Amino acid sequence: MSEHDDHFKPRGTIAILAIFVITIIILWGSVYLILLQRGATQ
Amino acid sequence: MSSSSPKLQIDPYERGWMYFSLGLLAAFAIAITVAGLAMGIQLPGFEQRVDPRTVDTDPNSPWSKPGLREVVPGKEYDAYILAQIWRYSVSEQPAQKELEVPLGATVTFYITSKDVQHGFLLQNTNLNVQVVPGQVAKLTYTFNQAGRYDFICHEYCGTGHAAMFATVVVK
Repeated sequence: MSEHDDHFKPRGTIAILAIFVITIIILWGSVYLILLQRGATQ
Repeated sequence: MSSSSPKLQIDPYERGWMYFSLGLLAAFAIAITVAGLAMGIQLPGFEQRVDPRTVDTDPNSPWSKPGLREVVPGKEYDAYILAQIWRYSVSEQPAQKELEVPLGATVTFYITSKDVQHGFLLQNTNLNVQVVPGQVAKLTYTFNQAGRYDFICHEYCGTGHAAMFATVVVK
């Protein structure tokens, strides 16, 4: 039995992190697309 | 001394988090590079220094006669805007609050302040800069959609701050 087979799997923490990451990607991505859509400043 | 060097043990979740963090840094670097270099979206640069005490009275100062200058008729304009408590001077007529440009015009804004720190935020565009006394902010934008674009002061500058705005009218 390897060292990692009995490793504690923090599924709840990973689920919360996944929700957080997806939310940030959606929010940040939408703002980034608005930035690109509004065009150049130079 | 052993011939084999010891291997670094990293927890799988910790390793995953490290890869994710590196990926995040790479994604932000790519996003900033695309926006800045490919799309021309950059922070406003420092243009020049002026004397705020004489910027509106010196006859050699373009802000003594603020307003639009036509560079290429119908296509390119320079807009000299003077911010002061609590209005933007966009013309030699103090009451005027509108700049009118044709659709498709490229306007370069030269903005400075004669008193305190102001802001310049042209709504629904990426133009956003602090207007600092003694410094000139330069911003360029091409208006490809007709309409009214208000620009507002977004640095608190006193009791009349909330009423400090003017408009670019694109026809």
